[in-house]
Amino acid sequence: MKNLIYGAATISIAASLASAVYAAGHNAYTIGVSNTVQGNGWREQMICAMQAQALVEGDVANLIVAHRNTDSAGQLEDINNLIEAGVDAIVLNPSNPDALNSALEAAMAQDIVVVAVDAGVTAEGAYILSNNQEEYAYLGAKWLFEQLGGSGDVVYMRGIAGVSADTDRDNGFKRALAEFSDINVVHEVFTGWQQDQGKQQMFDFLATGIPFDGVWTSGIDNVIVDAFVESGAELVPIVGADNAGFVQYLTEVEGLRGAAVTNPGSVGGAGIALAVDILNGEAPDSKTVLVDPVLWENGTDAGRATIMAAQNPNLDPEWPVSVTVPGWTDYTMQQIIACEGPGDG
Amino acid sequence: MTRAVRKHVWVLSLAVLLALLLAVTKLIQPSFGVSGLESVARAALPFAFATAGMAVVVIVGGIDLSVASMMAVCAVTAAVLMERMAGVPALIIVLAAGLLMGAINGALIVLTRVPDIVVTLAMLFVWEGAALLILETPGGAVADWLEAGIRGSFLIDGLPKALLAIALCVALVWVPIRRAKLGLSIYAVGSDELAAFRSGVSVGWTKVGAYGICGLFCAFGGLSLAALTGIGEPVPGPYLLASVAAVVLGGVVLGGGKGGLLGPILAVFILRIIRTILTLLAVDPNVTTIIEGTIMVAVVMLGTAVTRRRGSQ
Repeated sequence: MKNLIYGAATISIAASLASAVYAAGHNAYTIGVSNTVQGNGWREQMICAMQAQALVEGDVANLIVAHRNTDSAGQLEDINNLIEAGVDAIVLNPSNPDALNSALEAAMAQDIVVVAVDAGVTAEGAYILSNNQEEYAYLGAKWLFEQLGGSGDVVYMRGIAGVSADTDRDNGFKRALAEFSDINVVHEVFTGWQQDQGKQQMFDFLATGIPFDGVWTSGIDNVIVDAFVESGAELVPIVGADNAGFVQYLTEVEGLRGAAVTNPGSVGGAGIALAVDILNGEAPDSKTVLVDPVLWENGTDAGRATIMAAQNPNLDPEWPVSVTVPGWTDYTMQQIIACEGPGDG
Repeated sequence: MTRAVRKHVWVLSLAVLLALLLAVTKLIQPSFGVSGLESVARAALPFAFATAGMAVVVIVGGIDLSVASMMAVCAVTAAVLMERMAGVPALIIVLAAGLLMGAINGALIVLTRVPDIVVTLAMLFVWEGAALLILETPGGAVADWLEAGIRGSFLIDGLPKALLAIALCVALVWVPIRRAKLGLSIYAVGSDELAAFRSGVSVGWTKVGAYGICGLFCAFGGLSLAALTGIGEPVPGPYLLASVAAVVLGGVVLGGGKGGLLGPILAVFILRIIRTILTLLAVDPNVTTIIEGTIMVAVVMLGTAVTRRRGSQ
């Protein structure tokens, strides 16, 4: 047993010396990443975008990724470990806006740059970079209401009550609704962002026979199309997200008029780019940076061309198909699919 | 002297292993010091209490699959109560709730004669639902003194308050019980239930007591979660499997009757420091869990081989 421990210690020392030599040769930033959901397509795309962006940023020598399924206490542990590892910046997808403040404040006290992606944190001094969820809902809702000629009945399928992304999206939806006085919401439900639940709800609406002219969904989209097709109902315009399944339907399902609004997991890559900018002394004026979504509709030639171009059979079917964030990320499609960071491979 | 060493060889080996791992950490990251020790101790808090609770029920010959759910109930109860009332009474209510939940688990096992693993699996879902009923989404607040009580060092640098909290709570609960009739009964029931019964031990009450202690430790675990995050989270964390792993690594025999609490708690620190080392070395996150699992199996196998050889000598 002793020999084994000595052996392990020797290997560890050798490894640490090797990494020290590597760092000395490059003399650049080490960035730490913390994420608490593993095995979800959106989050995996986020991690791969972080790796790919760190690879193409010339100034990042090393990316330390703490990526596992855990709770806020576990994320605190990971952030503290990243601080001990001496990182220059921490990019995290926070499990909760309030629970991580102790570790984030400790990090900022040591001049470590903190960037929260996807959701906000309340720790003062932290940068927040996320998709603009209010604009996400506004864009899609406005498109839908225009398709209906400014008057008609719509189904409003939300996410999870009380979650900040849902609240923001609701504000955007209401803003669009205020602009179209002849649009009525006939059904409003929470899908819980669950495919089966959303599909069943749509079956129920179709069964009640109360007519409606359009559907807005908060990302539970392809199963709504399935519900129409399976129950033999006539398709109405549907708004969804840029999930691979829905985007494919937009090009394949006959009679489907719809639009996908982008909600890229690649904001993770944008988070790395922002952290590097701040480290290089190019901090943005505002602590909060919002990435504006884009709408792809299948009714126009330009929209169809964008949708066709975004589809890639090599992409993981669980990933959102918009793999880059224009103006922020610099990697190629191959690089994000390869999912390799600096020091890998 | 040698007898004492031989009796505690497992715990001593774990202590040596932990010291070596700390030395390795220091070698990898020369700046690892007081703040590093503090953050390892803080990270170990919820795991240590979950493991202490699990160790007690494993010693009595059972297993409690509901530890993480009970911790979640206690964490949200603490966060909800402390938002509305003074910290100390809230703390007492949470500890009582933990004790009660554990005792309910034990009573169900004794009264229904359904195996421990089935009852506590069912209670895992019951307590999980209860936590969501108390607090639907993460929130609430925690008394400042509770949060401050686990931050920083006590008196001298390098003696983390979190470590002290673990040592104090576990010692205050376990040492008196271990020396009392209940402690003896727990070991007796764990090694041979029938023999214990024939010797006049009340098997049922002993089990209820052991599960109650487990619930009490889970209450400490829930309080530590609330103190760490400053809020209550209703969804249980990854403490069930981690506590079973630490109990096994800590030298407690899964059949019951053998082992203590010191070994499992040392094992918790070993598992936490291994994660720190893997983070410092920037190991691929998907490989990290494989390494953690491999180290665990290797240590238990080596330990078993060593103690068996010693035992046959």
